[in-house]
Amino acid sequence: MNRRLEERRAYHARYKQTVKTRGKPFFPYAMFHDTVMSLLVVCLIVALAVIWKYTANEGTGEHDSGWLGKLYDEKADPGTTNFVPRPDWYFYFLFYLLRIFKWPDSVILGTVGIPTVALLLLLALPFIDIGRERRPMRRPVAMTAAVLTIITMGVLTYKGATAKEPLAAENLVLVPKWAAKQGFAGNQTAVDGAKIFAQVGCMNCHTYLGAGTSNLGAPDLSKIGKTSNRGVAGFATYVSDPSKFGNNVMPQFKDLGADNLRKLGTFLQSSGTCSPKTDTCPAAGGQ
Amino acid sequence: MNPRHDVDPHEGQGTAHEPTPTIWPVGFAVGIACIFVGLIISKIVLVVGVVLTAIFGFLWIRDATRPFRGEEAPAEPEPSRALPPGTPAARTSGPDPGQGEIVRFPRSKFLEATTLGLGGLIGVIVTAPVLGFTVLPPFIKQGHPKIDVGAIEDFPENKFVIATYLLKPEDGEVSRRTAYIRNNGFLDESPSFTILSNRCVHLGCPVQVNGLPLDDEAKTEKTAGDNVVTRIPTAAAAGFGCPCHGGQYDTEGNRTAGPPVRALDRYQFEIVDGRLLLGQTFSVSDVDGTGAEAKIHTYRLAGPGQHVDGPEGWLYPVQPPR
Amino acid sequence: MANKPQGRSHQLLQILLYPLNWLEERTSLPGRSGIVGGIKYFLFRKVPSDISWGHTLGSAALTAFIVQAVTGVILAMYYKPDPNSAYESIRHITDDLWAGWLVRGMHRWGASVFIILLFLHMGRVFLYGAYKYPRELNWIIGVLILVLGMMEGFFGYLLPWDQTAYWATVVGVNLQATGPFVGPFLGDVLRGGSEIGPDTLARFYSLHMLVIPGALAALIGLHLWLVVRIGVSSPPWSPTEAGRPEPGPPPAPRKGLVAPAPRNGLAAPVSRGARRR
Repeated sequence: MNRRLEERRAYHARYKQTVKTRGKPFFPYAMFHDTVMSLLVVCLIVALAVIWKYTANEGTGEHDSGWLGKLYDEKADPGTTNFVPRPDWYFYFLFYLLRIFKWPDSVILGTVGIPTVALLLLLALPFIDIGRERRPMRRPVAMTAAVLTIITMGVLTYKGATAKEPLAAENLVLVPKWAAKQGFAGNQTAVDGAKIFAQVGCMNCHTYLGAGTSNLGAPDLSKIGKTSNRGVAGFATYVSDPSKFGNNVMPQFKDLGADNLRKLGTFLQSSGTCSPKTDTCPAAGGQ
Repeated sequence: MNPRHDVDPHEGQGTAHEPTPTIWPVGFAVGIACIFVGLIISKIVLVVGVVLTAIFGFLWIRDATRPFRGEEAPAEPEPSRALPPGTPAARTSGPDPGQGEIVRFPRSKFLEATTLGLGGLIGVIVTAPVLGFTVLPPFIKQGHPKIDVGAIEDFPENKFVIATYLLKPEDGEVSRRTAYIRNNGFLDESPSFTILSNRCVHLGCPVQVNGLPLDDEAKTEKTAGDNVVTRIPTAAAAGFGCPCHGGQYDTEGNRTAGPPVRALDRYQFEIVDGRLLLGQTFSVSDVDGTGAEAKIHTYRLAGPGQHVDGPEGWLYPVQPPR
Repeated sequence: MANKPQGRSHQLLQILLYPLNWLEERTSLPGRSGIVGGIKYFLFRKVPSDISWGHTLGSAALTAFIVQAVTGVILAMYYKPDPNSAYESIRHITDDLWAGWLVRGMHRWGASVFIILLFLHMGRVFLYGAYKYPRELNWIIGVLILVLGMMEGFFGYLLPWDQTAYWATVVGVNLQATGPFVGPFLGDVLRGGSEIGPDTLARFYSLHMLVIPGALAALIGLHLWLVVRIGVSSPPWSPTEAGRPEPGPPPAPRKGLVAPAPRNGLAAPVSRGARRR
């Protein structure tokens, strides 16, 4: 123990001696590098600000986002019912960490447990890694830990950036894409129906063009108009009470009302029957 | 030889020529201050000031002119330093710095303690109000105004209505809150409501309806106390979902998936003159049954992410007053 | 050198130097240098001859911090920390003021750059093993600077008072409120109540622009002071690494312990260089 301390002291004494005899003055040698780097940093900050400003539109909508995001979001609304909060990019890892712990009993691990332990480990690093060796290649444990940390942070950040929720607000964004892909963009009733489809929880069990989650054996509905072909009214009747058709798994959607059911039916009938090239659908009504 | 030198070799040479210490100027200054204050505020203070100034001024002048009038200045009271004049050691040893040090010691000790004490006192005087100012607000009970969100008829039976209102209209939009309100019809002739808060009990994100908000049928109404309430009926509300970390709830607010640690918070309510008034919010561990017959396991309002029951609940034994 | 007064230019130099000498005489102790001497020491102190670009990350982070301080002070002249006018004042700064967008943009992106540079700097220190004796204390101070830097980001995030800001803050404060025992109280202290209310914004503003920057500046000063006192470490693979023992019998038994260490890449030139010396 004592020997180690003496070794370290001797090392530092040698360090001081070497620097004194063979070092170079900070100014201008080292400071030159520092100044160049600082200039780069300032230029980078200004460049980011300029790119941010000139690629974004002055607005708060989805399409106003430039390369570096919007100039401003909408004003805070503490009573919102359709906003999907996402943190800034450097908190994505924490954001995804919270999503990992999806069991109520483990919530505290994600919120305070792991961050606290990580911080304490970071603070205590000089007392954990007490070896005198400084060359990276001869510190395999430390280097492995560092690489793992970086990979973990990278993966968490990536997963956080791409995380999606099967929620009305998130699904609604997809509706224009569906309309373009399925070719019912010109049919307003079908577009309205798609919005209803996106919002009322259909996608908690059904998938549609790769979105949504598959649960309870519910089929993919991307081509339902072609495969089932019940017609607008037929779909409306089916959805309003599936049990009449022998389907006791799917809930009733009578609540939507005749008008909304007709829109939903139009959307389902249009799925897979319209032509994306000509943007036309067969006459509503199906069979 | 001046006898004082025997007593304390460190005493300055010029002591006799300097004015003797006196506290009368302090009183004199207080008198002057009283005069100034009195000139502005009241004549009585002015008179008191003049009297004080005169008395202390006289005493000060008498003190200051004593040497010129040939009187002996009173010796400084220094009980800790003055050795008994008859002590032989004091006379024979002469100037002895070592001994002087020892004798001075208690006084410097006293000064150290006093300085630290006074410094601490300054610290307390400055930080107590500051800390109280910053830390106290959360410990003050905030009270819950009754909020009128509309007539009972505005809430169709067995459908959730999204109601946004101002918790404290005087604070403005920052106090806007949202509740999901379902009219359960009547239970034993008294109306029953299920009123859920839209704050996720995982970390407080705004929970959304898994259903269709009928925006066309939205109504905005000015209710009692300058409140602006918006009601949006919904269709086919199959539950609630949190857009942040994937929490899902059923129509009773029970957790069905994701990290929420309990069921959605609920509101107390009362019906006055046919209008629905929202009261305090409270926490719920879980709900058995549905609608009017539901059995709700209620707890004091806790923050999001905090268990109210089970062993994890022991982590949060005390909650700030709400 | 200049043993004779050289006329006018010498006199001019004396006049110019007079304020510096004045300052030095009034800040120095006998035999110890004062402010001017200290700055001279800082500038002309010897550093290891093999340091290079890796060692510029710390001063780059300092530059980013100074950019944040300057732009922050300017923003504070126009920003209104009140829920009813904060959002509008940000829009005013961005849309109406001359170069307001630039100052706000620099402050916004400078924050990210600052954090990234802190991480890079930390990574460099880790790679060089520069947190080891006698620099342990400086590592701890550095970690505290990182923590404070992230807190600064968190408290500043609410200020634009837009949807992202508001809800990120809701989640952030609730995170801390899940801490055992004191968590609920901590959350309430941060918000100034059980919910984000009219006073929360001003509270965050005060923390963001007075309390934390003050602490950060103090810690950065301490960090720098220790850097100057202890000295910066050489790259460990440098052939002229300051402090390396003169070439002698290599520590053979140790090598056996870490036998699989590949002798390629960085390690090879190190040993060769050391032997040459």
